[in-house]
Amino acid sequence: MKRRTFTLLSLLLAFALSFSSCTKKQVTNEKVLNLAVSSKVKGLDPIYSNDLYSSSEVARVYEGLLEYHYLKRPYTLKPNLAAAMPEVSKDGLTYTFKILKGVMFQDDKAFPNGKGRELTAEDFVYSIKRLADPKLQGLGWWLLDGKIAGLDAWRKSNAAKDKVDYSEKVEGLQALDRYTLQFKLAKAFPQFLYSLAMPFTYATAKEVVDHYGAEFLNHPVGTGPFVLPEFNQSLKIVYTKNPTFRKKLYPSDASEEFKAIGMLEDAGKPLPLVDKIIVNIIVESQPRWLNFNKGKIDYMTIPKDNFDAAIPSGKNLSGDLKEKGISLLISPSLDVTYTAFNHDLDLFKGNTKLRQAMSLAYNVDKSNELFYNNQALPAQSAVPPGIAGHIVGYQNPYRGHGKAEELALAKKLLLEAGYPGGKGLPEITYDCPSSTVSRQIGEYFKKQMAQIGIKIKVMTNPWPELQKKITKRQVMLYGIAWGADYPDAENFLQLLFGPNKAPGANGSGYNNPEMNRLFTVAALLQDTPERTALYEKMTRIAAEEVPWVFGVHRQSFVLSHGWLKNYVATDFEAGQATYLNVNTKKKTELSEKL
Amino acid sequence: MNIQVYVIRRLLYTIPIILGACGIIFILFNLVSPDPTLIMLGKHASAKQMAELREALGLNRSYWLQYLDIVKSAFTFDFGRSWATKQEITSMIKQGAIPSLTLTFPGFFLSTVISICVSLFVSFYRGTFLDRGVVFICVTMMSVSSLAYILFGQWFFAYKLGWFEISGYESGFPDFVPYVLLPVLIWLMLTIGPDVRFYRTIMLDEIYQDYVRTARSKGLNEKVIMFKHVLKNAMIPIITYTVIQIPFLILGALLLENFFGIPGLGGITLNAVNSSDFPVIRAMTILSALALIVFNLISDVLYTVVDPRVRLK
Repeated sequence: MKRRTFTLLSLLLAFALSFSSCTKKQVTNEKVLNLAVSSKVKGLDPIYSNDLYSSSEVARVYEGLLEYHYLKRPYTLKPNLAAAMPEVSKDGLTYTFKILKGVMFQDDKAFPNGKGRELTAEDFVYSIKRLADPKLQGLGWWLLDGKIAGLDAWRKSNAAKDKVDYSEKVEGLQALDRYTLQFKLAKAFPQFLYSLAMPFTYATAKEVVDHYGAEFLNHPVGTGPFVLPEFNQSLKIVYTKNPTFRKKLYPSDASEEFKAIGMLEDAGKPLPLVDKIIVNIIVESQPRWLNFNKGKIDYMTIPKDNFDAAIPSGKNLSGDLKEKGISLLISPSLDVTYTAFNHDLDLFKGNTKLRQAMSLAYNVDKSNELFYNNQALPAQSAVPPGIAGHIVGYQNPYRGHGKAEELALAKKLLLEAGYPGGKGLPEITYDCPSSTVSRQIGEYFKKQMAQIGIKIKVMTNPWPELQKKITKRQVMLYGIAWGADYPDAENFLQLLFGPNKAPGANGSGYNNPEMNRLFTVAALLQDTPERTALYEKMTRIAAEEVPWVFGVHRQSFVLSHGWLKNYVATDFEAGQATYLNVNTKKKTELSEKL
Repeated sequence: MNIQVYVIRRLLYTIPIILGACGIIFILFNLVSPDPTLIMLGKHASAKQMAELREALGLNRSYWLQYLDIVKSAFTFDFGRSWATKQEITSMIKQGAIPSLTLTFPGFFLSTVISICVSLFVSFYRGTFLDRGVVFICVTMMSVSSLAYILFGQWFFAYKLGWFEISGYESGFPDFVPYVLLPVLIWLMLTIGPDVRFYRTIMLDEIYQDYVRTARSKGLNEKVIMFKHVLKNAMIPIITYTVIQIPFLILGALLLENFFGIPGLGGITLNAVNSSDFPVIRAMTILSALALIVFNLISDVLYTVVDPRVRLK
């Protein structure tokens, strides 16, 4: 009896384990890029791609008029579906594009005989009207709101109709002929071209949208390098190479930093370089990390919990990972973290000295050590390094580093503000998201303020709740971060532009007439030294006025396996997979070590 | 009472319950929940666009009309589309329910069978070293946090030993099996402890009943006493305990699903709460309420099967 039971159990175990072994991947010569994302992808409709995950997925299938040069820094726009950069009128209001000829939409049953047709200028007119469609409420409308002549009126007039009329002409958005597209702006907006590199404005075909209706987001059909026949939110996403993709080549020029590390090895090769992309949705960091270590993911950002194991010295990769052929790429991100004051409160509104005192009492170096492994760059103002408006070498006079004289000055300023030793101040609440790190940052802020007698109460909130509190002005202080939408200081300085007050992007409600005036002037200027000078002036005002306690500009730490080629860190990931390559021979060799 | 009449009457009772549930979720959504337009529009929300979006989502309509929409969806099962993902909610639920069940159902079934067997066994040896040892092991298993089981299991058995997949999921049998083996084992570790203790208490309650003593004095075999008499009489609390758990199986196991990359309903519900995705929250609440009512009804009917003394009224 006992023997029979044992045999039965053994058989069951063998049966179960055989399932595991039978799924082991077969090594083939097919070039497969294995990626992992930490959140569910909503769908693949460009007009709703307002989060990093959806926009990256959209950009595998769809394309826009422009794109960022993959191997150039500072970020530089280049034509993608446009044949060349646009002709811009002298007043900076009219942009005329020539569209590439012979670009085909992917084959799909929505087209006659299932064969994709040629892309035309009308497709862009349609796609941008779709973004403005009042019934669809595209999440990227903010990008074009008030920017294109006649588009707002078109949106408004169609809001009341039962069916949106796409045939109605918009003055500022016209296809002059099959391959010529013209935009007329309602007012100068020098950042307009960045909009055309964002997935919101990518080209979609009207017949595909009409064919699939509300299910369009699960049936992506673009002109891009990869094909996804059907998107299913529950499964991993598997893209294959688009057989009808046009001849697009890997760049032959690059910034010196990329040339030096051999990024031009694939120069001139037709894109994309891999046959298939598999996107795994792995929400938690441990399984992502373990899958990476097993070679099932080609690259990933190091999870905070694994940072010390991966980079024991804080800068160099651990010997164990090096032996496996893994490499580390550290690169600055275009972002800023900060603690914002609610400028609607009399307490902070006119009290610059109180704000300065709090900024001086906050030791940014220690926070960098505690929360960013000493790898972030302390922010001196709002604009991050790498874009015009950031002043190299500038030191914020009210930036604290934990020095005794800074604390003494902070106490003096607090006295001058009318709160000697913090007396007379109410308990100030500090709201932050409910993640562990955010709470720890809040506790650290509380401890720093206690040094000058200011009492802080840390309140954690689920993200939607925090957003609600900021919008309804129910916060006193709050910790938050901002990542660039496009590489222009305007995108950061608008956070301090009075008219952008919450629910706009200026959540703190900071409203300085001089700052507003400079911003309004700069917003109309093209990228010129004059505009940079204005940006720099605003940077200095922000530093001295302390509308926020500035935090840091973070850096990304990405690990990649030795078989992955052409990976460069970027703040604008859309389209990146097109340039990545996999060395299958090296993968076979290195996989043995994992 | 005829069983059909009883079932119909109980099903009719669901109507006021569903209306009440709809009322509660509607009030909670309007009073407590953050503004969904703000969450949908994210960092670029403007007052103008929020107002437009509120209009498009129908949030400017009268409260009565909004409430009627909820009630309508509860009776037609047409939950519309998610505000956050724009996906059809019925499809989301269909797609999520199967992965959830492939994890929770085997776990639940095995844990129930194993726990009942073990509890019968230890109650037979009540008071002995074996009984105490099993109780000690159960308490120890219960004391370890679920996260510890998951993190250790994933690291040691999947990563170090390579016996299981670290994470992921494939649809269709048997493709999903390798992906759910480890989570099911962890489920067992998490549930066997409390289940054995609960069933053991039920069994012990029965073992000290007069009819067991009578059976023993009649000279009946202990196996017959345990399996035929004790187990049968313990079935009512067992049915209550097990059947009521079934609706929660459909809702998935959030932690296990998240860590093992199983695209179940647990993750869908959590995402919906985080993004104030009211249509999805509404659908999940209504379905949960319905499932609870239905399975309560099933357990009531089952009582009559296992105990003929029970009458439906």
